[in-house]
Amino acid sequence: MLLEVKNLNAGYGFLQILRDVSLTVDTGEYVCLVGPNGAGKSTTLKTIAGLVSPMSGEILFKGEPIGGLPGNKVARKGIALVSEAMNLFVNMTVQENLAMGAYTIRDKRLQKDRLDFVFDLFPRLVERRNQLAGTMSGGERKMLAIGRGLMSNPTLLLVDEPSFGLAPLLTESVFQSLDTLIKQGMTIMVVEQNVTKTLSVTDRGYVLENGRIELSGKSSDLACDAHVRKVFLGV
Amino acid sequence: MVEQVEKRIWERIFKWSGSAAGMAVIMTVVVAVAATLDRGGYVLVNTVVTGGMLALVAMGLALVFGVMNIPMFAHGEYFMIGSLTAYYVFTPINNYITMHPDSALTFIGPLITIVAAMIVGALVGVASEVLVFSQLRKRSRENWVMNSFLLTVGLSVVLINAHQLFFGADFKGITRYWAGPPITVMDVFISRDRAMSFALAAIVVVVFWFFMTYTRTGRAIRAVSQDENGALMVGIGLKGILLLTMSLSCSLAAIAGASLLFMYPAYPSVGLEPLYMAWFVVILAGLGNVLGAVMGAFMVALLKVLTIEYIGSGWDFVVPSALIIVVLIFKPSGIFGSEVRGILDK
Ligand SMILES: Nc1ncnc2c1ncn2[C@@H]1O[C@H](COP(=O)(O)OP(=O)(O)OP(=O)(O)O)[C@@H](O)[C@H]1O
Ligand SMILES: [Mg+2]
Repeated sequence: MLLEVKNLNAGYGFLQILRDVSLTVDTGEYVCLVGPNGAGKSTTLKTIAGLVSPMSGEILFKGEPIGGLPGNKVARKGIALVSEAMNLFVNMTVQENLAMGAYTIRDKRLQKDRLDFVFDLFPRLVERRNQLAGTMSGGERKMLAIGRGLMSNPTLLLVDEPSFGLAPLLTESVFQSLDTLIKQGMTIMVVEQNVTKTLSVTDRGYVLENGRIELSGKSSDLACDAHVRKVFLGV
Repeated sequence: MVEQVEKRIWERIFKWSGSAAGMAVIMTVVVAVAATLDRGGYVLVNTVVTGGMLALVAMGLALVFGVMNIPMFAHGEYFMIGSLTAYYVFTPINNYITMHPDSALTFIGPLITIVAAMIVGALVGVASEVLVFSQLRKRSRENWVMNSFLLTVGLSVVLINAHQLFFGADFKGITRYWAGPPITVMDVFISRDRAMSFALAAIVVVVFWFFMTYTRTGRAIRAVSQDENGALMVGIGLKGILLLTMSLSCSLAAIAGASLLFMYPAYPSVGLEPLYMAWFVVILAGLGNVLGAVMGAFMVALLKVLTIEYIGSGWDFVVPSALIIVVLIFKPSGIFGSEVRGILDK
């Protein structure tokens, strides 16, 4: 297992959000985490990435415990988070943001390779390379956020709501980029509101409700599940 | 093609000169030139010398606010620590120089002094972060700005009184760093110390700017100032950056304190005036805006020099304060609010 989360409890201050969350992601898998608003999906990703510290439970990455490590150490182990808020450096240009994404890479040639890779994946960013991140449109920012995450050549990419606020056409193109990444052997865990779309592209899924994993299984099975259909699709 | 580029540059300059930042800079230059023509070159010289050193103090203040979100009111005490260190390092050097006027120390001695003050400033900065601010951060980040502000006020009182207790309340000063006749520029005599202190300030500002813009670590500092979580996500260690920021900004203040020892002798509350002046600057320029602080420093310096020149020396705090009130009413984010980029630009 690449990532193993066991009985994770986490939250903010005294407020507990996640209760006994367990999930796994294997190398090369495309896994999704879906659930209603406020279920704790973003909190799950943030806890794995080290931005929220767990109250109890275990997080293993490549068999090594990473629970409680600060975010920068988790990032160095090979986990990249593309957060809901994106957390871009708004007063830096697109190119500078991407360069910051490769902060952990010292080798200049490797940095260049990564930059070419990201520009290949998102040609739109090439045109905008000298624009300040803060002045970009929502869709461009999302691409930049994903691009910045990829700059460090991560083993596991955690993406929070890739389609949030994007027009259908852009949503499609962002999902296509994720697909390309999966085909190249990347491991991705994605959180999405667009349940139908997500379950149709991912391998496996987890359903989070009120901080608990209520259901899990193959995405195609989840898509047919009566409970899922009732909660998310209203049918 | 070239014409087009030229046109675009002009368009930009035109737009900039219409903005608050542009108008302020242009007005400053115009006023400075007018006053110089009216009263003589020393107005300009005084402005430039005062502004240079003020820029060092204000830059540190802006940096600590921009990166750590601390409204620092103990910054004057790092200035004081710089001048105190300089006094104790330079006094024996000076004795030696007086005995051996031809030794290399006459030139290098003052530089050694200032470097020593810089190092001590950096160390005290590290100690403040480790012993004071990181302790608060560990406990709670709620209401951080207010709590850290109160801590800095407490720290300031403690440092002022520690100085009084251990070193006494008397003036510990020197008459000059660099021996030799004054330099003349535009018919104005500038003492070597003043000229050197400006040169030093200019060098430090340029080196600092290079560091923040082109080095990996400088960029990491800017990244933290713009988005702490974003910085963590790309692998930047927060603790190290915060420590570095604090020690950098304290050493900037200490350099200023040491360089100005010939004008401001070391005594417990010597840092209060530079502190207030530096706060005028950062409020004027926009909190956390490091590059703006440099320009703001020259504006405040000019204002101070002109007030003393035309109104009287008792007014040199009143006029800047009045201006601050006006700025806060009309442009609460500071003149350079959003115009300048980076943290060199917040
Ligand atoms: N920084 C925070 N401090 C306190 N509570 C928070 C914080 N962030 C999120 N919460 C709370 O935690 C709960 C779960 O939030 P989370 O963002 O994980 O939900 P989500 O499943 O991602 O929802 P959405 O689909 O709306 O993005 C919510 O009730 C939210 O109010
Ligand atoms: Mg969310």
